[in-house]
Amino acid sequence: MFKLKVSDAKLLRDMTTAISILVDEATFKIDPHSIKLRAMDPSRVAMVDFEWSKTVFEEYICTESTKMCINISELLKLLKRAGKDEVVELSLDEKTGRLQVKITGKYTRNFTMPTLEASEEEVPTPKLTFNVRAKATTGGLSQAIEDAQLVSDHVRIEADAEKIVFNATGDLMGATISLQKGSDTLLDLEAKESSKATFSLSYLSEIIKAAAATSDIATIEFSTDMPIKLDFQQAKEGKLMFYLAPRIETE
Amino acid sequence: MPRLRKFIISVSCLYFTGVVLGVNLRDLVPKTIVKLEDLSGKSIAIDAYNALYQFLAIIRQPDGTPLKDAGGRITSHLSGLLYRTSNLVEMGIKPVYVFDGAPPALKEVEIKRRMKVKEEALVRYEQALREGKTEEARVYAQATSHLKDYMAEDSKKLLDLMGIPWVQAPSEGEAQAAHLVKRGDTDFCASQDYDSLLFGAPKLVRNLTITGRRKLPSKNIYIEVIPEVVEMENVLKGCGITYEQLIDVGILIGTDFNPDGIKGLGPKTALKLIKEHETLENALPHLKNAEFPAEPQRIREIFLRPKVTDNYRIEWKEPNTEGVIDFICRERDFSEERVRKAIEKMLKGTEKLKGKTTLEKWFV
Repeated sequence: MFKLKVSDAKLLRDMTTAISILVDEATFKIDPHSIKLRAMDPSRVAMVDFEWSKTVFEEYICTESTKMCINISELLKLLKRAGKDEVVELSLDEKTGRLQVKITGKYTRNFTMPTLEASEEEVPTPKLTFNVRAKATTGGLSQAIEDAQLVSDHVRIEADAEKIVFNATGDLMGATISLQKGSDTLLDLEAKESSKATFSLSYLSEIIKAAAATSDIATIEFSTDMPIKLDFQQAKEGKLMFYLAPRIETE
Repeated sequence: MPRLRKFIISVSCLYFTGVVLGVNLRDLVPKTIVKLEDLSGKSIAIDAYNALYQFLAIIRQPDGTPLKDAGGRITSHLSGLLYRTSNLVEMGIKPVYVFDGAPPALKEVEIKRRMKVKEEALVRYEQALREGKTEEARVYAQATSHLKDYMAEDSKKLLDLMGIPWVQAPSEGEAQAAHLVKRGDTDFCASQDYDSLLFGAPKLVRNLTITGRRKLPSKNIYIEVIPEVVEMENVLKGCGITYEQLIDVGILIGTDFNPDGIKGLGPKTALKLIKEHETLENALPHLKNAEFPAEPQRIREIFLRPKVTDNYRIEWKEPNTEGVIDFICRERDFSEERVRKAIEKMLKGTEKLKGKTTLEKWFV
C-alpha cells in the first residue's frame, strides 16, 4: 500500500519524461523511505538510476516495501494534463491492482491505470573507475551536443587537466567544441590522466535534454573507452543518474 | 495483489503459409513482444528452411504465381532472403542462416503427409486458376511451395556474396540453431516453429523473417505481425515443468516425428497429464488411443540428443556489392536499383554496429 503526493506536478512530469527516455515499462521499488528505479534500455546501452527520498513529497505513506511496474508513456500522458501548480497524488488500489492518479487544482481528476508484472531483474552498478570528473551546466552541455549533432551521429569526448573537447566527424563535415575549465559552462574539471571515449549522440542528446529539465548542473565522469556516468544534481533530496556505454573504435 | 499479465499477443503466422508444421505449443508459451531495434547488436541463428518456405509461400503475384526470372526459374526465395536480411542488418542484427541436412528417419511420415498436402493443394490451385478464382488460387498456391535443392544452393551463394554466414546442419536445422544458442555462439535462434524449444533453445524469436502487415487468407483483414521473444526459462517456470517434461508434452500433442500426437489431446490437457503423472510413460496408461509410430523414447532422444555439429565458422563480412548484382540482377533479373538500395542499407547497419558496446560488459 502506498500513497505519494507531489505538490510540484511539473517536476514529477519532467522526472517521468527523463525516465521514459530509456524505459517503456518501469518497475519502481517503493519502501518507507524512498522510491527508486534502476533500469536499462532494451538494447542495454544505457541505464537510468533514479531515487526520490520521501522528503521530496508533500505526503509519503508506504507501510511496506513493494514493487510497481507501469507503462511509463501512459503515465506521462496523464501527467501532461496537470498544470504547473497542481497537486498529483499516486496511490495503489490493492483490490484491483490499479494505479490511481489524482490531479487536483482548479478541479479534480481521478485517473486509473493498470500495473504490470514487475521485472525481477536486478540491474547491477557497472564496475568503473573514472579518470575524469567534470562539473558542467546542463544548458551548456545541451548546446555542445546540439553542435556536434549537426555533423555526425556520434561524438568523441576528450579531456585533459585544462579542457574537455567534443569531436564529431561526419561523412562531410566535422565539429570541434571546446569547454575550458573555469568557464561559464565547465565549472570544474579534474583529470587524473587524459582520457577519451566515443558515444552515440542520439542517446546523449535525449538524456541530457530530458534531464536538464530537472537539473541545472551535471557531474560527468568517464575514462578511456569506458561508459560515461552523468549525475544530474537535484534541488530536492534525490538522484537522477545515467550510464551510457561507449562505442569502441576497432580500427 | 492482482496483476495484469504482461501484454501478450499470440498471432500464428502458420495460418498465412497454409501449412502447420512442428509442435503446437502456442497456448502454453509466454512471449514478450519486441521491436526489431531492441534486437540490435544481437546475433540470431535463423532456421533457413523455415524462412525460405515463408518467402516461397508469401512472395507471389496476386494469382499465386511465384516470382520468376526470364528463364522461368523461381526467385521468390532470393527476393525474401535479400530484402529481409538487409532489413535485419540495417537494424544492427547479425543473422546466421542454418540449413537442414538429412531429416531423421522418424520424420518420414510427416514428410509424406506434407507432400500429400502439397499435391492436393496443387490440384485445387490449378482448378481455381481455370475457374478464374484468383484469390482462392493464391491461397492454394501458397500451400504448394516446394523447396528444391537448387533453391538452397542459390540461397547459400547469395548469402556468401552478402557476407552473411550460414551453417550446414547434419540433420534438423532447428536442432543446430538451438545448439548455436546453447554454445553461446548466437544470442537467439529464430523460427516460426516451437520445435526449437523442444531442441532446448534458451531463447527463440518468432516472426523475425515475416514481420509487417499481413493479409489474412481470403479475408480483407490485415494484421500486424510483430517479433516476439520466447525464453525457455519462462516457459518452464510458467508451465511448472522441467525441460524433459516439456518434450513429453510435445510428444503427446504431436511433433514432426509423430505428427498426429494423441487424437483429441490438446496442449492444455497434455500439460495437465504430464504434471500429474510426471512422465510420458506414466501418463500413457491413463490414455485411450495412445498409439505412436515409434517408441516415444526414440522421439525423445531426437530432441534430447539431436544430431548437431561443432564444425562451423560464424563470421560476418562486408557485402560484395558487385558480386550480388552480377548474380541476382544479371542472372536472375532483379532490379539493380532496388538491389543496390538493399545493400546500402546493410552497409549502414554494419557501420552503426561498429564499436557498439552494452553496459553488460562492465557488470562483471
